[in-house]
Formats: sequence, structure tokens, C-alpha cells
Amino acid sequence: MTGTIDRVGAAAAETSFLLNGRPVTIRVPPIRRLSEALREDLGLTGTKVGCNAGDCGACTVRIDGRQVCACLTPVGQVAGRHVQTVEGLAVEGPAIGGRGGHEARLTRLQASFHRHGAAQCGVCTPGMLMAATDLLERNPAPTRGEVEDALGGVLCRCTGYRKIVDAVMGAAEDGIAFLVPQAGAAVGARVAKTDGIAKLTGEERYGADAMPADALWLRAVRSPHARARFRLGDLAALRRAWPGLAAVLTAADVPVNRYGIYPTGKDQPALADGEVRYRGEAVLALVGDADTIESLTDADIPIEWEPLAPVTFEAARAGGAPVLHADLPDNVLVRGRVVKGAVDDTFAAAAAASVVEVETAFVEHAYIEPEAGWARRVGDRIEIVACTQTPYMDRDEIAHVMGLSREQVRIVPTAVGGGFGGKLDLSVQPLLAVAAWRLGRPVRWTYSRPESMAASTKRHPARIMARACAGSDGRLLGYDFAGDFNTGAYASWGPTVANRVPVHATGPYHVPHVRALTRALHTNDPPAGAFRGFGVPQAAIAHEALMDDLAAKLGMDPLEFRHLNALRAGEPTATGQVLEASCGLAACIAALREPWRAARAAAEAANRAGGAVRRGVGIGCMWYGIGNTSLSNPSSMRVGLRPDGRIVLYNGAVDIGQGSNTIMVQICADALGLPMDAFDLVTGDTDLTEDAGKTSASRQTFVSGNAAERAGRGLRAELLRRLNVGEDAALRLEAGCVHARDAGGERTLRLADLEPDARGDVLSAVGTFDPPTTALDEDGQGVPYATYGFAAQMAEIAVDLELGTVKVTRIVAAHDVGRAVNPIQVEGQIQGGIAQGLGLALMEEYVPGRTENLHDYLIPTFGDVPEIECILVEDREPLGPFGAKGIGEPALVPTAPAILNALHHATGVRITRAPATPDRVLAALRAAGVGVTP
Amino acid sequence: MRAFSYSRAESVADALKGVVGHGETKVVAGGTNLLDLMKADVMRPTRLVDITRLPLNRIEETAEGGLRLGALVTNADTAHDERVRSRYPMLSRAILAGASAQLRNMATNGGNLLQRTRCYYFYDTGTPCNKREPGSGCGAIGGVNRIHAILGASEHCIATHPSDMCVALAALAAEIRVTGPRGERTIPFEAFHRLPGDAPQIDTNLAPDEIVTAIDLPARGFAAHSTYLKVRDRQSYAFALVSVAAALEIEDGKVTAARLALGGVAHKPWRDQAAEEALVGRPADAGSFAVAAEAVLRDARGFGHNDFKIDLARRAILRALQDAAASETP
Ligand SMILES: Cc1cc2nc3c(=O)[nH]c(=O)nc-3n(C[C@H](O)[C@H](O)[C@H](O)COP(=O)(O)OP(=O)(O)OC[C@H]3O[C@@H](n4cnc5c(N)ncnc54)[C@H](O)[C@@H]3O)c2cc1C
Ligand code: SF4
Ligand code: FES
Ligand code: FES
Repeated sequence: MTGTIDRVGAAAAETSFLLNGRPVTIRVPPIRRLSEALREDLGLTGTKVGCNAGDCGACTVRIDGRQVCACLTPVGQVAGRHVQTVEGLAVEGPAIGGRGGHEARLTRLQASFHRHGAAQCGVCTPGMLMAATDLLERNPAPTRGEVEDALGGVLCRCTGYRKIVDAVMGAAEDGIAFLVPQAGAAVGARVAKTDGIAKLTGEERYGADAMPADALWLRAVRSPHARARFRLGDLAALRRAWPGLAAVLTAADVPVNRYGIYPTGKDQPALADGEVRYRGEAVLALVGDADTIESLTDADIPIEWEPLAPVTFEAARAGGAPVLHADLPDNVLVRGRVVKGAVDDTFAAAAAASVVEVETAFVEHAYIEPEAGWARRVGDRIEIVACTQTPYMDRDEIAHVMGLSREQVRIVPTAVGGGFGGKLDLSVQPLLAVAAWRLGRPVRWTYSRPESMAASTKRHPARIMARACAGSDGRLLGYDFAGDFNTGAYASWGPTVANRVPVHATGPYHVPHVRALTRALHTNDPPAGAFRGFGVPQAAIAHEALMDDLAAKLGMDPLEFRHLNALRAGEPTATGQVLEASCGLAACIAALREPWRAARAAAEAANRAGGAVRRGVGIGCMWYGIGNTSLSNPSSMRVGLRPDGRIVLYNGAVDIGQGSNTIMVQICADALGLPMDAFDLVTGDTDLTEDAGKTSASRQTFVSGNAAERAGRGLRAELLRRLNVGEDAALRLEAGCVHARDAGGERTLRLADLEPDARGDVLSAVGTFDPPTTALDEDGQGVPYATYGFAAQMAEIAVDLELGTVKVTRIVAAHDVGRAVNPIQVEGQIQGGIAQGLGLALMEEYVPGRTENLHDYLIPTFGDVPEIECILVEDREPLGPFGAKGIGEPALVPTAPAILNALHHATGVRITRAPATPDRVLAALRAAGVGVTP
Repeated sequence: MRAFSYSRAESVADALKGVVGHGETKVVAGGTNLLDLMKADVMRPTRLVDITRLPLNRIEETAEGGLRLGALVTNADTAHDERVRSRYPMLSRAILAGASAQLRNMATNGGNLLQRTRCYYFYDTGTPCNKREPGSGCGAIGGVNRIHAILGASEHCIATHPSDMCVALAALAAEIRVTGPRGERTIPFEAFHRLPGDAPQIDTNLAPDEIVTAIDLPARGFAAHSTYLKVRDRQSYAFALVSVAAALEIEDGKVTAARLALGGVAHKPWRDQAAEEALVGRPADAGSFAVAAEAVLRDARGFGHNDFKIDLARRAILRALQDAAASETP
């Protein structure tokens, strides 16, 4: 976490080369990274930087036609060569009209990416396109394997890679033409992203892409210790030695040095005050010119450390460990509890009972875009431009930290290069705000990859003990769950995890007697926060292991056992809630029945032949409550009509790649009865849009979608009233007029005749929705969520009994999404979620200080993610917009259980410690005496 | 503030002039390792000499019937070269098992030999490391050492050499051609990389003022019976937990020549000639292979997190030898 080589000392020299076909000469130190020179000196920010270490491939460009990492190429080496970046891909060819007056040219490859939905957040897309361009030039008709090899050096955290492979293989097909649905036919259509084109041309602006030229740079000095006291030395001397320093900020400079998600849990300082609680915690902020900030190393900073023995998860669980926060003497942040019936009695009477212990690791979000942004002071207001999942919460938190009113804070979210929950917490915002406010100059900051990994939140490691029992008829009787979650040094979203898990602990089954208890414990580990699923993926490993085991004990097929016990409409959940509709688990399981039988039979037949490689097929099911747990979480959306007939959707829901910018338009367009291509988007600027809450808890489609639908219906009602036509009138936009036709004939409204409001809209409507929930009582009884997503996934794997390696060969995923507003995006979410679930099951384990990069911390690559079949079950949710629920988090939850159950099917050995790396698989096989022991 | 100078050499003589007598000078080839280490502040050269334009970028036949791989030929061009693929398939596979397409396009053969360990503590300047700072101690002994050595380690360093290519080169008994102020010389592959001993800061026996010009492959390529097996935590683009280059010549079911080298287990690509010799004359079967595996790992020792590698290495050796015995065509 020290300086970089881009600026240090080297004398500038001229380097001339061809850039996207044009000769350029730059005067920079020849050792500067090409990526840095392209972005900072030549203004081409289409080339992304995810790691600066060769690990992620986001910086892939072509030099003399061949793909290379720009982050490891010194500028001096490209002298006389031809460098091609994403901006140079489509210099010729027809211009296509993007939405919002956006003009762009696309190559066939780029067009294919657009059609196939191959870009979600889009931050990996430039690298993918460059690698694929290299491949296609040498090999216009590659096989799947060739595509996977050629693009294998570019990591994607969103898509699960399948649609990228499809797009590359489909690039030969013609088609700059994209589907434009008719009015009223948007919902359910496979439309390309409304904001997709900019992600393909390199024009999209992410957190690090729109920095003002005159901004000062900021860098945090972070703790190398998990727990320590510290004293700052002579900072004035540091300032004198480094005249380029404009400020050295300490805890004393932060007006209210405590923030946190919950009003009661503001426990995290922006800068530590005398004591650090995790490795990576910020202690100081250096602000100054780029060269100074990049040259200063941690060794230059006068800090005296007194390291202390850190509180581990084990110690926190055992009790009696040193206290992290004075108000929590037992280090227990929160306890969660759901109790129904008399669970202990049921075990005595049951025909079969099983117990399981589950252990999971810290998992890192590993979005490819590190945290980045900039801030400036405008009069008595502070403006922050940064990547975030939650602009409105940021606004309130920054107002709190700065001691300002909310109105004095403006948050302008950039495009987000992946979030998955990790960009729900503050990152660069508070220190940028403090620095820009004090100095009166714009200040910028981009996290390095190790910094992003060390400082940001993680998925909670869990220790779970669970048991379940069933009667001889195969029906579940009782479920008893106790889970401890390592919430790390600060509260973050720990309470959400502790409260969400007990509700979901049983899995998506009808269980009459339940006890589910959780604790979130403080340790000197990184703060664990929100990560796709909020603890539910960890709990699902337990319930799905138990379902398999009970089925085996009762002599039942694992799929049929689940089908029998699947929660159905009219049955109460563990919290006593009765779902009246949209309870599609049984349908999901039924959809897997055929492939399941065939695959299980094939695997068992193959295994009878023996050999080192065994096949296995496993199933995992899940449910997931959409929106916040028993908390109000409203969204509002505004839609306006311009005098020229364009429709503007003011959309405060941040699209972090999952596609809400498209979904909201689809929903609003159909509610209004006008076509999607008449829409322009104004997105998440807290000054311009309505509050659409956080992009989390899989809530945007359901909650904000409802708001968009209501806004659309509101505007439609207003139009119908003004045109004096009936409910079922067909609307049409033409030349600044709205035409309506019904049985009574055609009417016309000339929009230019109306008075525009301050926004420039002549008519507008706002829709608001807050999902109906109730508080939970002390036994956790009540209605925590308005609706739930359901899913069943099946994984086929091959295990090498001699080497302990596991290869997932196929996944079939059946998801009840209520209604697939956009099937391409639903599939994309499922595939991306599966890739993350696969990582959780097989390879991902964050070790503070040791795996703070993307080659020691491994996420799935092209070669790891198998063929995925998506089956969309549409059990309409009456409360949802056009029947839709959510998909973001449900996609990930069942995957790890399905893979671990497949491992059991293949080997007879149950592994419940994730990730199941080769060494753990071998150890488990050995302990069980299984396998060919050479 | 550290200051750099950067220059580009157009000839070998030019490059040597740049390197000779400048202790803190480094040549930069593909840059994939050096730039990364400089970013992490682990290596702090004050002068860089870019050698990518030296005329060492060809693959040529040698008089002995082998191939000479220029030091600046990229890993990608080497792996895809038709002669390498057909005559040294094990080498081609080893290279393609490493890194990613972009990196192989940049990485050079010379740089691959000289890449440094991926030990976490070596990279983390906040922790002790004898390789980075002699005498400061070893963070990995008693620390997190899942990726560390089980063979040939010392009390001063238990790091591993991360290369895949080098494991195949060890098994092929390649020779490294180097040049320097004292003229040219050839270093047998075995003698190129060092064990850590009490000087883990020195990775190889290349003198600081010498550069690598080529790698010579002997005529014998074991094309009929050879393989490269890499065991890792994910399917692609990850360093090896353990890797094995195995090559056999087999006549009438009996081994007439054998080569066996391991990656990810030691400070250098680990070739075991005694185990190779023990195979000669024995039937090419699991029993013989098990004996060889035992021989290689007789002195293996774990440091806690990496204990599993001993058994994993044994299994990988067996599998690789079996695969090599079975493979007929590359
Ligand atoms: C993300 C990532 C993943 C990787 N994965 C793998 C993997 O799985 N398997 C694998 O084997 N490798 C892997 N590598 C390592 C890669 O193969 C090496 O970095 C590469 O081979 C080094 O070659 P280079 O030309 O870039 O060397 P440089 O970085 O230019 O130089 C490396 C060192 O060699 C010296 N040097 C270079 N050429 C000469 C010469 N001719 N004479 C004398 N000294 C010289 C330099 O001074 C420097 O000290 C990976 C690298 C990265 C960044
Ligand atoms: S193993 Fe070697 S490289 Fe790693 S910390 Fe110890 S001395 Fe340094
Ligand atoms: S930024 Fe270059 S590989 Fe990640
Ligand atoms: S779309 Fe690939 S990282 Fe987001």
C-alpha cells in the first residue's frame, strides 16, 4: 500500500507511437505504466485498471495486434508500436443511434456483446473486447474452448462468463439491429440494456474515470496490524519535508468521526483515533499533488505502533476476550432469534434426525472496479462523485460525518463496476469530503487493489450447528439452528445478517417447529458487511446438507424429499407468515426432475466403472425475502414528459450492472403504454432524482419497479384525463404530440402548448411503493418480507479422488422470479450468481494481510464456470410490478449447497467447510477412508 | 525520493554496457514480474535497461539437433512454435498452463527463468523476509505458508519458485546460455537456480552483470511419453500448488529413460535424478512409479499449512508418470 512507479523520479522523455491508428507523442517517464499514460496523460479512460498487477486483465489493450496488460507495460516499450484501445475498435462502420441522443459506432463484436447481454457492470468489457478482437482476427470461428483460453486472462465478477462466450462466438452473425419492443410489449422482452452502448465503446464513466484535471490526490495510510494502539509523530516535519503535501488529515480533522449503517450503530471512525481494530483501517489521509502522494511510502510516515493480540473469531465465540467496543462487553453486536413450536420435543418423536456443522471463510466481493471518486466544495455544499450502491444513504451519512445538513450534500453516483453489497458502505466518500471541504479544491482518490481488499467489507465467516428431523412420512418436523457470524471490527451490516439468517434458516420448506438463533460477534478482522445474500448462502449450506442426509436416512430421493417438503402457498413459514401466492419452489424442483434423474443415473453408471475421477450430481434449494427485513424501505420514481415528446425517467435506483436502468424503463413504458425508445434516463443524482433506496436485498425490481409502474400509470391517467379518452385507449407519440385512440376515435394533445415545470417537463407523475411488512415479535414472529424468491439448482461435478480437484461440469438453475421482466438480464443474474456461489464453494477464502490481491485470492475464471441452463418459473407475485419479484441474491444462494451435495454424491463424503480446496477434499477423503489411495 | 533512469539497449553489447558495474541496474524484458515488484516496492532498481529490442528473439535449430530459444522470444511464441509443440510437447503444455494469454504475450523466456517467488511476505514490505531484506527473518515460517516449499528449504527461507515453464525445462535438462563481461558461458539447468541456504536473497547463479541470451533444448524431447500436470485451486490462471513434468522412454514395457521434475515444492524447479535412475530398467507401471514418488519425497517436510503438499505431490507424481506412460502422441 505504498507509492507506485508511475511518477517516482524518472525523467520524462518523449515516446512516439500509433494510438488507435493516429500518431501520438507523449512526454512522460518511460517507466510509467501504459494504462496510466492512456488514462491520465492521453485522456482515454476506456482502458480500465482493476489491479495494476496482471491479475484481472481489465487493462487489456492490443500492441501490434496482440493482447497485453497495459498495467505492466512501460510506456517506453511501445515506442514505434501500434497501441489499440477500446476507443479504437469502431472507428469506421455505421453510426447507430443509442438512446438519449447518444451516437456510437460498434463493431460486430461489440454489437454481439450488446445483443447477448455480455456486459453487466461493463468494467471488464473493454478488456474482454480487446482480447476477443485479438482472437477473432487470428481465428474468425473459434470454438468455445478457444474463446475461454483467449479471454481467460480477463476476470469478470458479474456475468459468469457464459454470455461473453456466446457473444464472441456470435460475433460473426450480422446485426447492428437490436430488438425495439412495441408499446406495451416491453415487459418480458429480451431487450438490450438502455445504458449498454457506452459500456462497449469505453465512454462509460466509472468512479476513477471522470476526475477533474486540477484535483489533488488523496491516499490513506492504513494499519498493518489487526489490533494496535498508535501515536502519531511529528506531522509538521513531514509537511516540511514534503512540500507537495497540502494536508495530512487525522482523526481530529473529521467533524463527527463516527459512521455506520444503523442509527444505533455508528461505531466506525473515518480515521482511527489512537487505536486500530483491523488490518487495513485508515489512520491518516495524505493530500497533495500526484507525484508527492504517489512517492510517499508508509515508511516515510511517523507512526509509532504498539501491536496488541487481536481478538479472533474463536476467542470472541468463547467469551472473555478483550472488548472491541465499550458498549458491547461480550463483543456480541446483535442476536437474532426465530422460535416457533416446541423444537426439542420433535426430535424425540422423529423417524430420522441429522446434524451438521458448517464453517465458511471471509469472502471478498472482488468487484473489478476498486472504490474511486472525487469531491469538491461548492459554496457551503459538498459534492461527491463516486461509485456507490446507495447515494441517498451516502448523502445522509456524509451530512452526519461533516456536521452538515442533508441539503448541503450532493451525491452524484458514477457507473458502478460491480458492487454485490460491498459498495453499500462508505469508502472514499468521508475523507474526500473532509479534504475537499477544508482545502477548497477538488480532491480525488482511487483505491489500489490491495487497499480495496484490505479496507472494504467481506462476507461473514460463519460457524453453524444445525439439526433437523422428519417423520416416517418424509415430512420435516423440526429444525434447530445456531449460527455465529464473524462481523469483524465494526457493525456495518452485521445486524442485517443476524436478523435475516434466522428467518431463512430452515430453507424454503414447511417446518412446524423451529428454533433459529444467531449472534454477530466483533473480532479484530475486517468488518463483515453486506454481500449478496446477507448470511443466507452460509445458512443454506447447512439446510441443504441436512435435507440430503434426512432423505438418505428415510430412503428417499433427495429431489423428491425436497419436493414433498417445499413451502407452498397457504403454509406458514418459520415466522408464521403465510404466503398467499407466488410460492414457486415446488414448480422449480419439478422443473429439475427430468434432468436430475438423467444426470444422477449417468453419474452412477459412470462411477460403477471406477477410476480416479468420480461424477456427482447435487441439488440445492433456497428462498429469499425481497427487501429489508421488517423495515420500511420505500422507493419513489418520477416520470416526466418533455415538450418535444421525449419521456424522462428520473431513476434514483443505482444500476450496478444488474440492469435496473433497463428494467425500470421496461416497466414504466408498459405502465404508460408508450414505447421504450421514447425514454431518456436521468439517473441517481440526489439533486435530480427521487429516493429509490439502496441497490441491495434484491429489492430494485420489486420495490423501485413498483414505483416506476405507479409513476407510469399516474402519467398515463393524467394523459387519458387530458385527452378525455377511456382506460384502454392506445397512446402514440409523434412530433411533439400525444395521440390517443379509443372507441370514440382519435384525440391529440400538443405538448408544446403546456407549461414546462422547473425540470422542463410539461407533465409528470411520481410513484411510490413501500413493501408491506410487520415488525417481528421477540420470538421472531411476523411478516418480515412482502414476497420471496425461490429457486432450485442442480450441479454436476467431476471429482478427482487422487488429486482432490473438483470441476463443475454443468448447472441447471430453476428460479421463480414471479415474472422475468427481461429474461436476458435474469439469466445474466443467475449465471453471475452461480459463478460467485461456485467461488464460495470451491476457492474463495480471504485471509487478511495474505490474500489482498487477485492471484492469491482466487475468483472463478472462464475455465471454472460450466455450461448453465436457466429455467425461469414465473409464479406471478400479485404485489409485484407485472408480477415480478427479485433475482440478484437468490441466484447465488443454492449453488454452493448444490456443489457440496454433488461432492457427497460423488464420494460419499460430506464436506461442510468452504471452500473445498484440493487439500481439504483430500483430507476429508482420507479421513473417511474413501478413494483410490495410491 | 527514488530516481530512475530508463534506457533502451539495441544490442547485447549495449545492454552489457548498461548493466556492468551498476549494482542497482536491472534489465527489463516483458516487465510482467519486475514492474509488479517495483510497484510493491520490493525491488528498487535505480536504472532500468529495456532489452526487448535485442536480436534474441528467434527460435533456431542447434548443431546437436536441439532448439535454441532466444531469451526474448515470448512465452506465447515459444509455446505455439510448431517445432516446440511437436518435439517438446511437455514444454509447450507447461507454458500454456501458466499465467494468461496477455501475460504470455508479454513474458519472455529469459524473464520467466528469473521471475521471483510469490511468497506473500516477500511482497509485503511490512513483514520480515530474508529474501527481500537479508537478516530480517522469515515471515512464512510460523506464518501462513500454504503455498510454500516442502523440499530443499532452509531455516532462512521456505519460498517456492513459481514458474511452470522452468519445471519442464528442468525435466528436459536444458542449458542456459549467458553472456557478461567475462564472456559467454553455459549453465546446466540444474545449476541455474539455487536453494535458499543462508542467502535466500540470491535466486540464481547468474551473476548480476550477466544476461541470459538463450535457452538450449537438447535433442531428446521425450515427445512420445511426457506430460505436464498442474494442480491448482482453480481451473486456469493460478499458480501451482504442485506441478509435475514427467517424461519417459519406454521399450517393451520397461522404462529406458526417465525425467521427473516438480514445481511449487521448492526454491527451484525440483528435479530428482536419483528417482529418475531408479525408474530405469523397471516396468512402466504404478508400482515403479510409487517407488519413484517415495524417493522424491523422502526428505520432504511441511511447515503447517503446506503439510498437505507432501501427499499431494506424491499423488501428482504418480498421476503424471501414469499419464506420460500412456501418452503416445502429444
Ligand atoms: C498475474 C500473473 C500470473 C502469472 N502466472 C504464472 C503462472 O501461472 N506460471 C508461471 O510460470 N508464471 C506465471 N507468471 C509469471 C510470468 O511468467 C513471469 O512474470 C514472466 O515469465 C517474466 O518474464 P518477463 O519477460 O516479463 O520478465 P521481467 O519482468 O521483464 O523480468 C523479470 C526478471 O528477469 C530479469 N531478466 C529478464 N530478462 C532477462 C535476461 N535476458 N537476462 C537477465 N535477466 C533478465 C529482469 O531483470 C527481472 O529481474 C505470472 C505473472 C503474473 C503477473
Ligand atoms: S519464505 Fe523466503 S521469501 Fe518468504 S518470507 Fe520467508 S524468507 Fe521471505
Ligand atoms: S489492471 Fe492490468 S491486469 Fe488488472
Ligand atoms: S460485467 Fe464483467 S465485471 Fe462486471
